[in-house]
Amino acid sequence: MPSPAGTPDADPVRASAGAPAADRAGGPAGEPLIEVRDLTRVYRRPRTSLTRPGEAVHALKGVSLTVHRGERFGIVGESGSGKSTLLRLLCALDRPTSGSVTFAGREVAGLPERSLRFLRRSLQIVFQDPMSSLDPRMRVRDLVAEPLVALGEPVGDRVAELLDAVGLPASAAERYPHQFSGGQRQRIAIARALAPRPEVLVADEPVSALDVSVRGQILNLLADLADELGLTLVFVSHDLAVVRHLCETVAVVHDGLIVETGPVDDVWEAPGHPYTRALLAAVPTLEGML
Amino acid sequence: MLTVDGLGVRAGDLELVREVSFGIGPGERVGLIGESGSGKSLTALALMGLLPDGVTASGTARLGGRDLVGVPERRLKDLRGRTVSMVFQEPMTALNPLMRVGAQVAEVMTLHGVAAGRARERAAELLGRVRLPDPERIARSYPHQLSGGQRQRVMLAIALANEPDLLICDEPTTALDVTVQKQMLELIAEVAPALLFITHDLAVVASLCERVLVMYGGRVVESGPLREVFKHPRHRYTEGLLAASRLPPRGTRLATIPGSVPAAGRFPGGCVFRDRCAHATETCETAPELTAPELTAPDLTGPEPRGDGHAFACWHPRR
Repeated sequence: MPSPAGTPDADPVRASAGAPAADRAGGPAGEPLIEVRDLTRVYRRPRTSLTRPGEAVHALKGVSLTVHRGERFGIVGESGSGKSTLLRLLCALDRPTSGSVTFAGREVAGLPERSLRFLRRSLQIVFQDPMSSLDPRMRVRDLVAEPLVALGEPVGDRVAELLDAVGLPASAAERYPHQFSGGQRQRIAIARALAPRPEVLVADEPVSALDVSVRGQILNLLADLADELGLTLVFVSHDLAVVRHLCETVAVVHDGLIVETGPVDDVWEAPGHPYTRALLAAVPTLEGML
Repeated sequence: MLTVDGLGVRAGDLELVREVSFGIGPGERVGLIGESGSGKSLTALALMGLLPDGVTASGTARLGGRDLVGVPERRLKDLRGRTVSMVFQEPMTALNPLMRVGAQVAEVMTLHGVAAGRARERAAELLGRVRLPDPERIARSYPHQLSGGQRQRVMLAIALANEPDLLICDEPTTALDVTVQKQMLELIAEVAPALLFITHDLAVVASLCERVLVMYGGRVVESGPLREVFKHPRHRYTEGLLAASRLPPRGTRLATIPGSVPAAGRFPGGCVFRDRCAHATETCETAPELTAPELTAPDLTGPEPRGDGHAFACWHPRR
């Protein structure tokens, strides 16, 4: 998708360098947990001619970042920016064209699924739309227990424990996803993600589909869980204001590159890149309007 | 210009929207806010005569002297797309994927009696008016060849084709990126004759509208000038929505409204908000009436009974 008219293009000099994440210094204390180096991903469009291969789409053009243990890391970008590709590569759901992703020092990029069990246990994902990410034919009990079963671990009382942790009654276990509201379904998705006691929780736009009153409940829950369980949080959103509320560090993705990264307050107060400034100016805020 | 009085929507025994009354003057931009399931979209569909089968509207709605509710489809067809038109949330499903975009814009004009050649010319003009680059080329494209923002502009061009008196927008920017949303909102503000704008995003409504109606449980619980309502909300639901929309600094708790919006028909009797409200007492088992509007400025004494003042339906209003 072309960038919208009027959006300043990424500054190629600053952007293409693939500068490491700690650009603005002063990162949190924990040791590096996820390290991404010079990651690229090229997709091919379907071919339209017999003699020529399909057009190449450079979804990621050399991205580097570091997520430290215990950090709350926000990734902000619009549709087509490459943030979903980046997320898929972080979670080893796709293979990069070049570059590396390491998790706790172990290379993840390009590994076959059977070698990724450690990652599947340590890193779990909550998706945007809890209606399509939860199997409508499974009871909540089985949905929440499924990651444990897949890893061959005993389930025991874990389901009740997890439902309690996300603020759902134990009776929820016997019901089906459609019997819950959007916010409750997102709680189920979070309980499921927490089942194997992951170190990292990746949340891909977890509140975008929710009403504003429920959004607060889920953001509070994520913050509480991250504190209690010492989780590392990777939070993807199109909304810099939400990221600022929840995260310490932010990376702004635009056109396949990280155009700006650093402590979220610095980026918010003094955005260095024209794209970040455009993004900030575009977000309507109540305070700004009244 | 638009006067809605006692609008109700029911599906069988289930009352979905109740006693909705408001007015919109020429050139006025009114926001309709509330969470999903509060009855906003049904209110809009009732005004368009587009309610699904088995769902019926009661009450009156008049636009420029013509009735919109309770008139036969044959009469409505003449008004819809000409006098009042609507932009929907999801531009991919609202556009016909098999038809070129220009033809879809022209169609809404030929249906209302414009000659085919003239409609084609005007379609290109309209695509330019919603600031699509290279309108001739866009007119020859199919919807899948356009981005989400471009498709939504096409929807707007279709809605404006017959110069309607009233434009209804139902969450037109929810599926769009923020930078695209901003351009779209500026465009809507510029071209809308009179606007009813439905959204759950308070900041969006604040950037666009002059007056606001807050809906919950199928009722208007508060209404008034936007600044007045947002700065000094009276109803506890409005207060909760505003608090939840503010994102405090990291490390502090976000304000929330306890629970979630009940399914249709599961709202409590009396005040619809009382099961989620911290201030509810026994009094709230009786439904509160919308108060007579308090006029906030001396020059706002129009003929509209619930037009310009600040009104709310709450037994224990804020302050």
